[in-house]
Amino acid sequence: MISLTSYAFVSMILFSIGVIGVIARRNIFVIYMSIELMLNGVNLFLITFARYHFNMDPQIITIMVISIAAAEAAIFLSVIILLFRSKRSLDTDIFTTLTQGEK
Amino acid sequence: MNEIIFIGLSFFAITGAIAMLVYKNPMYSALGLLVSIMSVAGLFALLNATFLFMVQIIVYAGAIMTLILFLLMFLNIKEEHLPKEPKKFFLIGLGVLIMIPFNIVILKAVSNLPNANMSVVESSFGDIKPIGTLLYNDWILAFELISILLLVALVGSIVLAKRKKINKENS
Repeated sequence: MISLTSYAFVSMILFSIGVIGVIARRNIFVIYMSIELMLNGVNLFLITFARYHFNMDPQIITIMVISIAAAEAAIFLSVIILLFRSKRSLDTDIFTTLTQGEK
Repeated sequence: MNEIIFIGLSFFAITGAIAMLVYKNPMYSALGLLVSIMSVAGLFALLNATFLFMVQIIVYAGAIMTLILFLLMFLNIKEEHLPKEPKKFFLIGLGVLIMIPFNIVILKAVSNLPNANMSVVESSFGDIKPIGTLLYNDWILAFELISILLLVALVGSIVLAKRKKINKENS
């Protein structure tokens, strides 16, 4: 029998790898994918507790999280296209462009 | 049997996530994330959430991963576009050190809960019909707000991607 703690362990590991990706990497694509991984870890935690309490409300919340992630994907990726077109780089240091004004 | 499936799926989920974290080329990172997402979908099925299993595969592995891979090919990323990350593994180690206490707190809190049988049951729990009934009865406001959010995201991404052309026409 698989216990609650083992599911919690897997989801915590996935969430932590997402946080570490946001901290440690400078490639903007990898940062975006780390955010997706964090959402996945939280979703797994929610589904685990839905099964634990035999209640379907956390599954509905998971559907909401997935649709918000889809909306976020559309916006984030179009912003990446804009930044890549203007700077030809995937470095997150290009975000300092807001402080430099028009060039 | 369920234990073997669980161990395999969690192994692939964590391995895919680590592959996403360490590869320099974003294409390999995206493929690692794909492996991880598919394994998480399998874990959903193991937790009796059959509808969420399908949604995860269709939306994440289908739509979002296709968008990411399409964009990676479309931008034609070369070696000189990638940022230099000389301190990558040092920062990863630092992140691990930061996250370990947080994980220990959560795992201690969860392991104190009373144990319950988490195996797959033969019932309508997690099927499409009860989830739809719940969604349209109790969560109807959230559902409508999500549809407005998706519309705004659709319009916003088109405006963002089209902005250069509009600026040229104006000037």
